[in-house]
Amino acid sequence: MPKIKEPYNFSKRIKWLYDYYFMGNQRKWNNEFLSFTTGVKGDSLFEEMTFYIVPEIYPFFNPFNKGFGQNAVTLDLPGDFFKRGLAERKSFFIRKAMVEGVPHEVLPGDLLAGSRFNIVCSKGWTPQEVKKRHKKISGRGGVRQKLFEFKDKGFGNCGPTSGHLIPDYPRILKIGFKGLSDYYGELYEKLSTNEQGSRKGENLRAMREACLMPKELAAAYRDECLARAKDEKDETRRAELIRMAGNLKVVPWEPAENFWQAVQSLWITHMLVMSDENYPGPGISFGRLDQYLLPYWQKSMAEGMDIEFGKEILKCFWIHCNTAYDAMIRTGCNQGITAGYGQLFNLSGMGKDGIDMTNELTYVLLEVIDEMSPILEPKPNVRLHCNSPEELLDKVVTMIAGSQGAPFLLNFDERSMAGMLRQAQKAGCEDLINSDNVFDYASVGCLENTMCGNDRSATVDCNLNLYKAVELALCNGRELNTYTDSIWGKPYPSNSDAPESGVAENFTTFEQLFAAFGQQVKYIVRKIVGLYDEMDAIRAEFSPTPYLSALVRGCAESGRDVTQGGAELKFITIEAVTFATTVDSLLAIKHLVFDEEICTMLELKTALQANWVGYEKLQAAAINKAPKYGRDDDEADALALRVMDLWAEETWRYKTTSTEAQFRPGMLSWNYWISSGYILSASPDGRRKGQFLSNAICPVNGADINGPTANANSVGKVLGGHSEDGDYLTYKNNLPNGASHTITINPSITRSAEHKEKLKAFLKGYAKNGGTALQINILDAEMLREAQAHPEDYRNLLVRVTGYNAYFAGIGRELQDEIIARESHRCV
Amino acid sequence: MRLIPKVTVLDIQRMSTEDGPGLRTTVFLKGCNLRCAWCHNPESIDARPFVQWNRVKCIGCDSCRSICENGALVHGESGISINGGHCVLCLACVRECPSGALGVRGEYFEGPELLKELLKDRAYFGEEGGITISGGEPLLQAEAVLWLLRELKREGLQIALDTAGLVPMKKLFEALAYTDLLLYDIKLFDSLLHKKYTGSGNEQILENLKQAARFLSENGQRLWIRTPVIPGATANMENIGAIGVFIAENLAGAVERWELCAFNNLCKNKYQLLGLDWPYRDVDLMPRVEMERLAQKAAEKVKGTGVAVFWTGATASEAEEE
Repeated sequence: MPKIKEPYNFSKRIKWLYDYYFMGNQRKWNNEFLSFTTGVKGDSLFEEMTFYIVPEIYPFFNPFNKGFGQNAVTLDLPGDFFKRGLAERKSFFIRKAMVEGVPHEVLPGDLLAGSRFNIVCSKGWTPQEVKKRHKKISGRGGVRQKLFEFKDKGFGNCGPTSGHLIPDYPRILKIGFKGLSDYYGELYEKLSTNEQGSRKGENLRAMREACLMPKELAAAYRDECLARAKDEKDETRRAELIRMAGNLKVVPWEPAENFWQAVQSLWITHMLVMSDENYPGPGISFGRLDQYLLPYWQKSMAEGMDIEFGKEILKCFWIHCNTAYDAMIRTGCNQGITAGYGQLFNLSGMGKDGIDMTNELTYVLLEVIDEMSPILEPKPNVRLHCNSPEELLDKVVTMIAGSQGAPFLLNFDERSMAGMLRQAQKAGCEDLINSDNVFDYASVGCLENTMCGNDRSATVDCNLNLYKAVELALCNGRELNTYTDSIWGKPYPSNSDAPESGVAENFTTFEQLFAAFGQQVKYIVRKIVGLYDEMDAIRAEFSPTPYLSALVRGCAESGRDVTQGGAELKFITIEAVTFATTVDSLLAIKHLVFDEEICTMLELKTALQANWVGYEKLQAAAINKAPKYGRDDDEADALALRVMDLWAEETWRYKTTSTEAQFRPGMLSWNYWISSGYILSASPDGRRKGQFLSNAICPVNGADINGPTANANSVGKVLGGHSEDGDYLTYKNNLPNGASHTITINPSITRSAEHKEKLKAFLKGYAKNGGTALQINILDAEMLREAQAHPEDYRNLLVRVTGYNAYFAGIGRELQDEIIARESHRCV
Repeated sequence: MRLIPKVTVLDIQRMSTEDGPGLRTTVFLKGCNLRCAWCHNPESIDARPFVQWNRVKCIGCDSCRSICENGALVHGESGISINGGHCVLCLACVRECPSGALGVRGEYFEGPELLKELLKDRAYFGEEGGITISGGEPLLQAEAVLWLLRELKREGLQIALDTAGLVPMKKLFEALAYTDLLLYDIKLFDSLLHKKYTGSGNEQILENLKQAARFLSENGQRLWIRTPVIPGATANMENIGAIGVFIAENLAGAVERWELCAFNNLCKNKYQLLGLDWPYRDVDLMPRVEMERLAQKAAEKVKGTGVAVFWTGATASEAEEE
């Protein structure tokens, strides 16, 4: 039986916490959603817009809404509650829920306090607000119905989602919430009386009040620690509990004085963001953890902290992050859906003037990752660049070799920074992103690049199937087949608002077809922008998150909540899905209809409408004879770059109306490339309906016949490659958000020290030629088949899906098959 | 003016990890003057490209039924076969076939076009990796290889040349001038057995090697010896011992490593596709203990000469474990 990576080097404490965590719903304690309401009639607790990007949840919106309401605890409110501004109501209510509503427990042996944070609670709406919002969401012409149609017709999905940003955690470690609160007090005092009475003043008061929540919560946990200490018989543990109580007396209200306090402060500050947003941990990321925790680590080490104890603190932190998954612990655990939490942190990477920032804590954190994995949270992302030290690369390669889904993502600085600088230039925010600070970017969620502490770039909010534009271009703005409502099964009327881009059968050149495609790309981008804009405005009006806003630079200064566009940097990312399917389809049309004249446009369309049935010969030619993206074929990749330039350029034309956030391009497909494959009709690249689409920036499965280097070269080329007028040095990057790139490598490349050097060489080459981010799966098809047959023996097997790891045994059969197929074609 | 030559290429393998140090792009040239009974690359033997039918890929569309004007495509009961004697390589059938079942093995490249392909992965080569020129026997296309070597050297790349050595010494030496690493086979030490299993004796091969080794060590270039370990042919103590003695006596100081490559049968289906019977079709992999014993023997013989002995490949016991 092939060997699967196991965790190791656990102290008794960590072993207990780890085993206890994996008891799942057998645990006595858990962090399941607790719900709280103001008691207002019809109070809607479940923020369905947050889940608009999760189509699997669509059928459950009403049950969820009802369910959370029925179980909710009604909290007592002060008499003037509804006279306060909405943000203040939210701030007050969530503080009350967290400080008075939820129990405060400390698990045996745990070194960190802060256990329950998964809550669903009132936003503090008045009955009028509840009604008004309800109408905008699920009333006639509301966004919900528009979204369902958008998704059912294969355009994709969108929704204002929580998380996906890096709060300004280092600032809390440095000045504490007290410092923050004082600063916000000063800002408030500077406002005119008029401003104080306006929404601006309201928001600022709400943010300031939110700073009290962590203080009061820490006090509650401090009491718990002291109570525990009193009953504790074991002297060592009693001393620990007393130390913990001491820590909580200081942080997160005051600046952290040592490593233990810093991690404690970080945890409480972080978990409350999840509470504030009522959605556990979606991409709420830590940023450059090994950089800002370093001074505390060094201080504690100098003061005699045992390195293994330091690691234990971190391991407790690891377990705490994973309890996010408890939210719906009783409703099953399909990781294909729930693996999207993504509390990411970065390690290593570049500093000013291209110097490498790897430090002693980088290696300690890598050790912790290695000893803890396989485990889902937090998600490490190691930043590499052309000057990454050999020692780091050695460690990275050894860790990749030792586990099936690599225990971390890899980000590549030069290409990523090129994208961030491109974005600064496009959006005119060079004052906030420039060569003096761009190296301090970090990734959120999976691999989406943002700046730290002042940036919300809505990195997963808009997911657009580019392929839809090919279909529309083939049909003069109509569709190849009728699409049906996925819940009721009713056919939708034909699309009517797309431009008539020309009757494809009359086109005599490929350029005419490409021009039609271009028109339809403009249309689908406009369409997703319009839909998102409506939703964004609803969130801005009704769902402030003052606690989170207090942690994002720009919000207090502008007096705007982060949901109202308060962050200094605010982008809305459109993630293009089906890139390679789109490119390969265009290449196939060019090859079959125009270059080789194997069929007419009408024949091709008829074949697609028939889902290729009866047209197997044409389908075979589309699959085997047409050029493909991902082979380092300059001609094919040149067309891919045209598609990239075209759609990416289109996104820069738009801003949201109510929050003035600039749209930007990226490529991350989460699991949409699977689900949308069942919606979108057959495509000219030979794909049948029901077969998966291409994933993020990856070539179509099986198309990359020239191996990983050719695949990586193609990816680098479509991002813009290199040129004299690069965005960063010679690097160009069309996608500031970054692009998910997954490759599978046969385990034989890591079988000896000499071979590990070869994998290192690949990574170094990738830094020059490849994309922004890479995920490596080291596994062979045989192991996966074995795991599919005997899931009980392979509960630990983590595989990379797209930007996230999931337990192989926990994902659906079709996704398992897909991953096996992805690997099998690479077997020699 | 020097003519830019055409090169007949069987295949280009990128991100190759087994043909020298680092990551490499290996180009396999067509044509070979040995006929090793166990040959793992039978499609490289013929110097010309040839058309091949792959049953697995065929969708039975019959597009090729009457396409061949020379009667080279034979539709029989058990599928399609190609009568090589009649094929003029017009490739009409290959173009017509939508599924890629009819394909051509081998391709004529213009020199610069091949060079461009080989340079595509230079970002991944680093200091160690580079280009490996292999075959077939690459030096059967000596003029083209020389042109290629010069151009690659001009680009500053590390070059490995993989040869069986049955070529005039002059041609070998012309190539060595541009070679950073020579990969050289010693299959069998006994010339009669060598003739029996490969079709030729080994006198020229060994003599070339002796001279090449001297040249390489004088110029600081590297030399790796490879011995295929084939059950019933090369896989015995006498042979490995004799090769070891030869290395120790004639090549000491020049050889950096000696690799014993365990027989593998992954090429079974290549023979099937070629419609050839392969005497090693049902031969088992080498047992792991046997490989270890042979490697030990090899190491004994070259002890103290600075030659590192390796053995590589899958073995029978490993297959059982899985």
